[in-house]
Amino acid sequence: MVSSILKTEKLCKSFSNGGLQQHVIKNLDLEIREGDFTVIMGSSGSGKSTLLYALSGMDKPSMGKVLFNGTEIQGYSNDELAVFRRRNCGFVFQSVYLLENQNVLDNVLTGALIVQKNSPELVMKAKDLLKKVGISDEDLNKYPSQLSGGEAQRVGIVRAIINDPKILFADEPTGQLNSSSSRDVLDIFSDVHKRGQSIVMVTHDLKTALRGTRVLYLRDGGIVGDYSMPVYGENDLKERRNGLTAFLEEMGW
Amino acid sequence: MRILRLSLFNLKKNKREALAIIFLTMITTFMFSVFITNGARIDHAYDEGFKASGSVNRLIIIGEDQYHDEFKRILEEEYHPERLSENRYIFSAMTDVLDNNNEPLSQNLLFVTEKTERQLEDFVKTEMMSEEEIARVEHPIWLPDTFRISKGYILGDTFTVIKAAVPYPFTVVGFYESGLQSSDSYGFKCVLSDADYDLFSMIYRSGNAHSYVGLGFDAPADFSLDDFIDKCEASSSENIRSDFFDFSYDNEKNNETTFLSIYLMMTVFLSLVTFIASLFMIRHKIGNDIEDQMQQIGVLEALGYRSKEISLAYLYEYILSGGFGAILGGILAVAITPALDQGIMIMLGRGMHESPAFSGVIIVVLAITALVTLFALLKARTVKNYPPVVAFRRGINTHHFGKNPMPLEKEKGSINCWLALKGFLSDVKSGIGVSICIITAGTTLLFALLMVVFFKDGTKSLETLMGTDVNILMVNLMSDVDPYAVRDEIASLPEVEKAMVTYDLEFVSVKDAGDPGQIMVYEDFNLSDTLFPCYGRFPEHDNEVMIAFRRAKTQNLSLGDSITLTSGGLEKSYIITGIISSMMNSGTVLYMTPEGYSRIRADGRAHIIYVYPAEGVSLDDLEAKVSSLYGMSAKDTVGSSAAGGSLEEKIRLAAEEKIAVLLSQYGVTDVDYAIRIGDQLISGNSRNFVIKEITTYQGIIKSQMAPIAEVTKKYTLIAAVLITVVIAVILAILSSSNVRRQRHSLGIMKSLGYSSHDLMTQMALKILPVTLLSVLIASVCVVLINRVFWTALFGVVASTNIPVIVIGDIGLILFCYAVTYFSAGRIKKISVTELMTE
Repeated sequence: MVSSILKTEKLCKSFSNGGLQQHVIKNLDLEIREGDFTVIMGSSGSGKSTLLYALSGMDKPSMGKVLFNGTEIQGYSNDELAVFRRRNCGFVFQSVYLLENQNVLDNVLTGALIVQKNSPELVMKAKDLLKKVGISDEDLNKYPSQLSGGEAQRVGIVRAIINDPKILFADEPTGQLNSSSSRDVLDIFSDVHKRGQSIVMVTHDLKTALRGTRVLYLRDGGIVGDYSMPVYGENDLKERRNGLTAFLEEMGW
Repeated sequence: MRILRLSLFNLKKNKREALAIIFLTMITTFMFSVFITNGARIDHAYDEGFKASGSVNRLIIIGEDQYHDEFKRILEEEYHPERLSENRYIFSAMTDVLDNNNEPLSQNLLFVTEKTERQLEDFVKTEMMSEEEIARVEHPIWLPDTFRISKGYILGDTFTVIKAAVPYPFTVVGFYESGLQSSDSYGFKCVLSDADYDLFSMIYRSGNAHSYVGLGFDAPADFSLDDFIDKCEASSSENIRSDFFDFSYDNEKNNETTFLSIYLMMTVFLSLVTFIASLFMIRHKIGNDIEDQMQQIGVLEALGYRSKEISLAYLYEYILSGGFGAILGGILAVAITPALDQGIMIMLGRGMHESPAFSGVIIVVLAITALVTLFALLKARTVKNYPPVVAFRRGINTHHFGKNPMPLEKEKGSINCWLALKGFLSDVKSGIGVSICIITAGTTLLFALLMVVFFKDGTKSLETLMGTDVNILMVNLMSDVDPYAVRDEIASLPEVEKAMVTYDLEFVSVKDAGDPGQIMVYEDFNLSDTLFPCYGRFPEHDNEVMIAFRRAKTQNLSLGDSITLTSGGLEKSYIITGIISSMMNSGTVLYMTPEGYSRIRADGRAHIIYVYPAEGVSLDDLEAKVSSLYGMSAKDTVGSSAAGGSLEEKIRLAAEEKIAVLLSQYGVTDVDYAIRIGDQLISGNSRNFVIKEITTYQGIIKSQMAPIAEVTKKYTLIAAVLITVVIAVILAILSSSNVRRQRHSLGIMKSLGYSSHDLMTQMALKILPVTLLSVLIASVCVVLINRVFWTALFGVVASTNIPVIVIGDIGLILFCYAVTYFSAGRIKKISVTELMTE
């Protein structure tokens, strides 16, 4: 039986806006299984990103529980959440968010050295991972402004997985990329997932969602649909696409 | 309007930083305004006060026995002075008095009659009793106005002069503007009734040379005191230089305004430090603002705004905040003027006759605002370097295409430390401004700290620069007493650490010098607790002398040079073996061995014993012990109650008191008496007295040095606090401004798992290299400034308290670290989610 890595109970998240309370996530119960590639979809404003931040300890829920491997994290202080994130999570953002004043290798190592001690093995691992995603040794000393959007996002992914996180979160990682770059990036995600990495990804792109194993549909702060994708190999891409499209049409996407 | 709105938006968004700029410009304007409005007034205040008194600008008093009528003729014929008058004076140096709180003090006093006073000046009364009230007062006294202004005397107070242990209480009937003799250093001129003056004339009558003839006059510009004394000596064929006392407008003004001028100069220095720091802080902040709002700049440019117009947005911000701060500072300077006037009057001991020129404040306000504007403009103009495309590519200017300092693959130790140093090396340029701020402010802070520590125990540290041992009893022996035998007896007392025989401070002329010398003799200089040569060594042979640092400076003398002394027709040359910090008598003291002294003063006689108390023994207790051993001194015996029991005891006590008066006040050296009552013969002699007088420096230190020490301590303490606040404000602004500028990167770091504490530590560590270097430079600067300060002010070389500087350095570094760390607390408010939804 596959164990759950992340679980929420009655999760709520509200924002105060001009004195008005806006309830973005409402009493949400959810379980993310270890090794799953979970995709969260929904229309704009449905609370996808808010849910991702609450799950990942980037933000604190207003009410309810978030359990990571059975441990409640919603009561953690900001600094405790920072430690939680560095030990357990990796993040890939839509805008990449590389550190502008650090070169490619340093961007990756900045994420690594807060968790582990420096060693030749660590540096080698960073270089290997970068090479695997197509960043050559010559590019290691480049600064983010010298990279294309796709290259930057690949560096972002390496930075996210350098610590072998227990779970990888991605917020529309291909949102700002062209189709070619998107494909490259998604291939990396698929590759990482095949090696057992748990992934939670927010997207509104069908092609991106097709890479997942489970699609959750969010509407008005609650999960209204939970679709398990056919396993790779059993169905061809067309079938997967049809199945997902039917699910999404059912959800009113 | 949009541009102005952007300025207002920035001000509103960064309220704390705007408030800090307002604070800094306010402090700067306030201090500059205080200097501008009061600098000239202090100079004028003395002049105006002097002018209001109608005083002559010079008074030379000469011992009555040494004075010859010929001197006045020489003065008239050779120098043609105006308003020349010749009068009698009583001058009493280091006089014991009881102040209005009945506290004992030691002061230099000059007693005159009203007639004499009116010949010297106009006797302008500032406050007085009615004529009827004065008529009812038995012993009236008029005191210089400084007693009312600075010392808190009021009409009707009692001013008690103690002479030969006898108190002479006077009632203060009025205060008057005194031109000369209106300070602790030069003494106070007190106007007595004719009857009281006559009484004091008797008490102070010659023999002890307390009665003087004074020549008061307006000296012509080319008047030379040395030249005059030379002519007088030639005329009288006597060595009388040491009997001349000179009081002049120039000397007294210089003496009275020196400290105020120094405090004002320090105020200017403080305001400069604050101003420089403010400018760099503003420069840094604008740079950060521009980077922070790069996208907005790009949008405005894309909309057709010229870079000049966008620059104006930043300019308005500083015109508004800087101008507001400057106006507040100006208002504060005006508002505080009455209190400052009071302070200046207290320090000068004179009334303020000139109104403050507030136009100076307006000029300062405008100048500070203009300078802030100019500085802001220069930095804001960099907007033109960012055309829309560049501006849109936000942060382009922070890219480093060249070196990558401290690559992380070589990281060792702490990642926070490594990233902080990496950040510092990537942006060394911005560290220069911070460095200048810390160097200037740190130097001031360390100097203030040195002063506070130096004056922490009042005058105790200052005493080490006096050039003589201060915490001693000076026991003046009767002429027929063997000083060495007494010394040995005293030295054997358990209350005594050591004792030493020495001589009176005798005046001698120093060839080619403007002032005479006073010889201080130590049979063994190593006995001294406080004498340490700054350069060279103590004199060891009869042809060697040690001089004060001030004399070395003024006469351009150095070790190995010779000085020639003349006294009583003798002229002797001495080799300078040592130079010492000596404030005593304005650095005129010459230090010699007994043999050296005898060469120039063959008639000199050692009859004084310096007695050093043992640890924990007070001078009062020691004096009581010495008195109990040898009986009261002649001086103390005078006026003591002859309350013996039998007739014989009463007669003996009365006789001893009479003898004491003769010994202590009339220069009599030997007295025998015999009184027959019926068959009984009661006889005795002066040889019962061993001690003529016991004196200490404590009274004079309390009256002259304690106020200086107190004011300096308070001033430097305020300066230290102020500079600490300024440093804190600047670092807080820089830190919070840096957090704002790096909000994006910090948010990313947070998402990677760096805690707020990690990032705040990095912020604080980032300025550590700059702080360390700056504090080191500040320490070197403060050593130099300390040296210049003491040399310029007191003519001494004060050793710099290195441990205090080291402690100050450590404190400053920790303070800078802590302020930067806590000011970066804004990092806690950076939300990772907000960053991602931008």
